[in-house]
Amino acid sequence: MIKLIEKIEGEARLNYSFKDNLIDFVEIDFFTTRGIEKILENRAILDALVINPRVCGICGHAQLIATVKALEDCYDNIEISKKAEIVRELTLNFEIIQNHFKWFYLTIMPLMGYKDYLLKASFPSQLMSKAIASIAGQYPHTSYAIVGGIVCDIGMMELVKVESYIDETLKFFEENLVEADGEEFLECNNSNKLLSKDGDLPKVLNKIKNSNLIDFGKSYDRFIVFGKNSYFNSGKSNKTRLYKTIDIDRVEEFDNNKSFAKNVMYKDKYYEVGPLARAMINKTPLIKDAHRRYGDSIISRILARVCEILQLLNHSKKLLKEINLNELSYIKPKIDISQISSSGVGVVEASRGSLIHKVNIEKGLIKKYDIITPTQWNLANGTRDNLGVAQNAIIGLDSTELAEIVFKSFDVCSVCTTH
Amino acid sequence: MRSKKLKVLWLTGIACNGNAHSFLNYPYLAQFMDRFEFLYHPIIESKYTLVDIINQDLECDILLIEGAISIEYKKDTTSIYDIIQKYSSKAQKIVTVGTCASFGGIFRDSGYLGASGLHFDRDIELDDFKNIKSKTISISGCPIHPEVLVNTLYSIREDIKIALDKFLRPKEFFAYTVHNGCTRNEYFEYKIDNHNFGEREGCMFYEHGCQAPYTHGSCNKILWNEVNSKTRVGLQCMGCSEPSFPKSNLFNTKKNMGIPEELPLGVGKRTYLTLAGITKAFNIKRLETRLFND
Repeated sequence: MIKLIEKIEGEARLNYSFKDNLIDFVEIDFFTTRGIEKILENRAILDALVINPRVCGICGHAQLIATVKALEDCYDNIEISKKAEIVRELTLNFEIIQNHFKWFYLTIMPLMGYKDYLLKASFPSQLMSKAIASIAGQYPHTSYAIVGGIVCDIGMMELVKVESYIDETLKFFEENLVEADGEEFLECNNSNKLLSKDGDLPKVLNKIKNSNLIDFGKSYDRFIVFGKNSYFNSGKSNKTRLYKTIDIDRVEEFDNNKSFAKNVMYKDKYYEVGPLARAMINKTPLIKDAHRRYGDSIISRILARVCEILQLLNHSKKLLKEINLNELSYIKPKIDISQISSSGVGVVEASRGSLIHKVNIEKGLIKKYDIITPTQWNLANGTRDNLGVAQNAIIGLDSTELAEIVFKSFDVCSVCTTH
Repeated sequence: MRSKKLKVLWLTGIACNGNAHSFLNYPYLAQFMDRFEFLYHPIIESKYTLVDIINQDLECDILLIEGAISIEYKKDTTSIYDIIQKYSSKAQKIVTVGTCASFGGIFRDSGYLGASGLHFDRDIELDDFKNIKSKTISISGCPIHPEVLVNTLYSIREDIKIALDKFLRPKEFFAYTVHNGCTRNEYFEYKIDNHNFGEREGCMFYEHGCQAPYTHGSCNKILWNEVNSKTRVGLQCMGCSEPSFPKSNLFNTKKNMGIPEELPLGVGKRTYLTLAGITKAFNIKRLETRLFND
């Protein structure tokens, strides 16, 4: 039975096989592609900063930051000011936050039967877009991060303005998502306490609990995070065992016969990426507690995503304070990038998980470009012997409706996947 | 004002969804949703599923197309050409949302057979869909500016006649250049050509590939996200609303004998040289030094 899954930043086809009324196998088919990697070949190197944000309308900023990191990695030595690094991290945080609001209100709420939450999705995501635009000119699709730093100068007024957008977003969170003090929420290590609070998050969590969906969505309970920054740690985990050392060279991407999207594995195993993975590696108390109770289920994924909004808002406020306005925003590289032939890798945490860019440059031109997106990890189309993460979570369910809920709990991005 | 909601179908071709997300940045969406109803939208909840749109024959007032199109490109199992044909014939207006849908844009090179805009392949007019051209408005931009799209839709709803340029773009938004309203204009006017990235000062036209003086759009007239623009922060205009987007070598100004190859719209080479000589003579200290970071 083939079902089209819609509104996942595009579409995907799920081809289900049933046995004894249970889903016995599912093929995940992303049936389009846009050829970004080919489009980049033989273009001027810096053009990647303009083309790549167009990989995705909702996480294009992560694509930009991954691009600039990959290009800077082509240098043996390049100086980037702390100021520029912090600002890049801030704007990426804001993109992650707007994504999570949109996912919660436009994907999860309707799936749970709550309609008409467009304005609750758009209000806070617009605030975060304004925060990005205040620094980077516009959102979506800016190219403000360039090799050597950022194009803009940042002054006190930009910081004041950005902080006001953060505060307004925090206020929205506390008044709508969970009616509780943000600090209290973050320090809470008992996820069940949340259920008795007011707000849209408890509403959804209670609905999941009362509709007996609480055990669904579980997969391998294996997580990986590559994009270390001042907030996220890198590492992998298996159940609750944490391994801090991982090697990006062991990431392997390979074709699958059915879908345009390539599968990705780390040392021959599929891993889940995204907010739940980040919370597991960071050992966030609230999410660890949810994981202890509910495992790697829908409920833990939702909680991890929403919790990350608050974490990143608070962390961004701290980052703002760390900016030294006397530093340069841009330090012109000593050697122009058109003069070097080299290769580089850029890794960031995007909204949906680890995003990897790899580039080869030669005589001013891009020779090869490779993008591995988070959804390729979570939605890999594996075989019966080695199932992808989402496949593994879907097999054994008794309806395609339930399968769709599980599928969407990964926050699927079709456009990214079909880059 | 008519009280009936106009039925809008948002159809996505070969795209990144950037226009759909930019639309979500329109500040008064509640008002918009009082006036329009989405038959389908790629992100927002809508009355019908995409499968309904493909299989049924629904009433539709406005067809919005995002992304490049190709006869090979399918929505589920149906060519996007067939869906466009079905709904464009009954719609009173068709709007191409973004540069891909208008001219092909980045995804013109996506590898799909003849991928292009609805009526234009870059600046070449196409024969396909010529029968509906009189109903089409192009809102170019990568992405579209939400206010430009929404105010165009409001005008359609009010039956206001919209004057269009030769690429079907509303003149009210596209008769301007992106240069109009840029806060770095003084540096352009007096040819202060020592722009460095990372600074508030300087004009990116002379060295860093800014296309604003010859790109049609309102980016510096109707600000992005209501607060800013790329050129204001110091990022050059990439010409994303033009049929030629994306050109190549976007961070450099191509020059011949020291003169930019592309000059501001309507400016001749000789006049440019004369003017450049005069403006250089001004030697304005205020513009040669930092504004306030000293």
